[in-house]
Amino acid sequence: MSATEIRGRFDTASFDEDDSDVVVIVGSGPGGGTLAHELCERGIRCVVLEAGPHLTAEDYVQDEWEAFNQMAWLDPRTTSGSFRLAKDFPNLPAWTVKAVGGTATHWAGATPRFKAHEFKTASTYGEVDGASLLDWPISLEDLEPYYDRAEEKMGVTHKGGRPPLPANNNFKVMGNGAAELGYRHIATGPYATNSVPFDGRPATVQDGFNFQGDKQESKWSPLVSELPKAALTGNLDLRASSHVCQITHDARGRADGVLYVDEDGALHRQKARAVCVAGNAIETARLLLLSDSPLFPDGLANSSGQVGRNYMRHLTASVYGSFDKEVHMYRGETMAGVVADESRHDTDRGFAGGYYMQLISLGVPFMAAFVDPGGWGPDFTRIMDDYASTAGMWLVGEDMPQSTNRVTLDGGMTDAHGLPVPHVHFDDHQNDLAMREHAWTQGTKVYEAVGAKNVKRTPPYPSTHNIGTCRMSARPEDGVVNEWGQAHDVPNLFVSDGSQFTTGAAANPTLTIVALGIRQAEHIASEIGRGAL
Amino acid sequence: MATTETGTAATTLTSQASLALLKDVARAMFPHPSFPDAPYEHAVGTIVAAAEADLRVRAQLEQGLRDVDVVGGAPFADLDDAARLDVLRSIEGTAFFEHVRTRLVTGLYDQAPVWDLLGYQGPCPDGNGYLERGFDDLDWLPDPQIEDPAREEIVR
Repeated sequence: MSATEIRGRFDTASFDEDDSDVVVIVGSGPGGGTLAHELCERGIRCVVLEAGPHLTAEDYVQDEWEAFNQMAWLDPRTTSGSFRLAKDFPNLPAWTVKAVGGTATHWAGATPRFKAHEFKTASTYGEVDGASLLDWPISLEDLEPYYDRAEEKMGVTHKGGRPPLPANNNFKVMGNGAAELGYRHIATGPYATNSVPFDGRPATVQDGFNFQGDKQESKWSPLVSELPKAALTGNLDLRASSHVCQITHDARGRADGVLYVDEDGALHRQKARAVCVAGNAIETARLLLLSDSPLFPDGLANSSGQVGRNYMRHLTASVYGSFDKEVHMYRGETMAGVVADESRHDTDRGFAGGYYMQLISLGVPFMAAFVDPGGWGPDFTRIMDDYASTAGMWLVGEDMPQSTNRVTLDGGMTDAHGLPVPHVHFDDHQNDLAMREHAWTQGTKVYEAVGAKNVKRTPPYPSTHNIGTCRMSARPEDGVVNEWGQAHDVPNLFVSDGSQFTTGAAANPTLTIVALGIRQAEHIASEIGRGAL
Repeated sequence: MATTETGTAATTLTSQASLALLKDVARAMFPHPSFPDAPYEHAVGTIVAAAEADLRVRAQLEQGLRDVDVVGGAPFADLDDAARLDVLRSIEGTAFFEHVRTRLVTGLYDQAPVWDLLGYQGPCPDGNGYLERGFDDLDWLPDPQIEDPAREEIVR
């Protein structure tokens, strides 16, 4: 690969820290990156502050632990609650990325849309004990035009005339098992990795590395698409290794800038006409809580008390089936396969909401770490000995929002900057447990239908889908932001990532984060145009 | 803490006897009959090297290895596989056990020779992926559908 072909390597403009005309965006992932691009195209200058370094394709390594240590957000966090992650990975509740492009630089690429009823769960599911369900203030109809645009932006397969990805080995197992079981909604996408060259980026060579960053740039991410396009406008100032520690406000309670620490530990103040937070659900909530003040004693934009609450992480579980013959699941696109039959809402199954079966594969290092956390002895090594003849599926479904599942500031531990670390409390809801049991059972049947000799039920990995901590609500008392992601309490403060999801739906969140980002950019541009921001 | 080349505290963990015992513990904890000793020795060496810089861990490992040699009623090396497993079961959850287990589960399986033994090919050297290297070579099942003709029934 010649240097000029690396789209993720680009330079940006440089704006003054006292320039109060810029929009400051905290985070450069799918939310922040998309918003930045859309605003820059409209002539609005943006300063994007990214806590992590500017890694590019040539930096990425196709080695699971080395890549993990290079890319993952490893700042300390603490956990509590009944969810198994608190025991298995107590300081790693989430697996997100700290680098330019955010967690979308290690995502796999699955892009289902939300369904109509998933925007209206309080109305559809009714009263669910212990769940803080709420209808979104927007509907599927509101978002559909933006889904269309997001799918075009991302080059999603099965859409816009783009062909599906071919079946890899792992998919052949799941697809055949699902068909044997009577499932019908079986496909290799929609998936945001190129099946044919698109947008100046190549088709996938099926190298099997997604969670380690995409060396080939065939997968959509802000790093290779939104951010370099924004840079071309001249309206983007991207500052990597810049960790925002406080959003500041003026006497009227409007956001007027941010304080951030650069990689040398120096403190900067960047002024802003508006601040948009897209730090992923744990860090976004943490930043608002860290921005407390005499005017906002419970944290910025938190008069509702909802900042940090209703933290969701999706059902998640996996099933690994081993066979008499070889599979080599790690070859090819990690998640290019879906069975959607169970994504419907059908309470005859004993739970509300639905789930998808999607492909997953892990290399040997991660298989050992995640297939059976805490496992050892002959039962464990049998799983590893079967590695080459093992197929894997991920189970991703809607989990119930609960007011008590929340991100708070840890009273006892601080990070390298001296800031309180986030504490994540999570109890599984009965509905989550019932859905996970159903999903494990159905996943087992899928593999048994094509002759599995052993099937392993794997518990959740550290959360890659982190949502809901600054939820969207029609009424200010029910949530943190309105239908535009605009804080109810602070009109020039926006939440621009999955934190704003009112409920989580079954679908992987990235497509919806991008669609909301496009929609939010239109609103911000319109507000600036009429002099309101 | 001052240590010396000849002091007992400085050398116990790195002695050949300790390394051999820890290797036996590693084999009993993650038994792969097809593996030679080398990957276990490598993983154990990493654990011991890291412990050199951490007094607490070193102390835990040293005492743990002494205990492992007595709780089975005989030296660990003299026990059969089943008895070794029983010893490990009896100390599961202790700081010693968990330290060794968590380091082994990462250290043992993060070695290219182990990937070869388990049939994991890792990255393709020339960047061309598995497109021409068998990403779809599974032939014991028919080709499944890759598009859902009834998609509209489920998508909304």
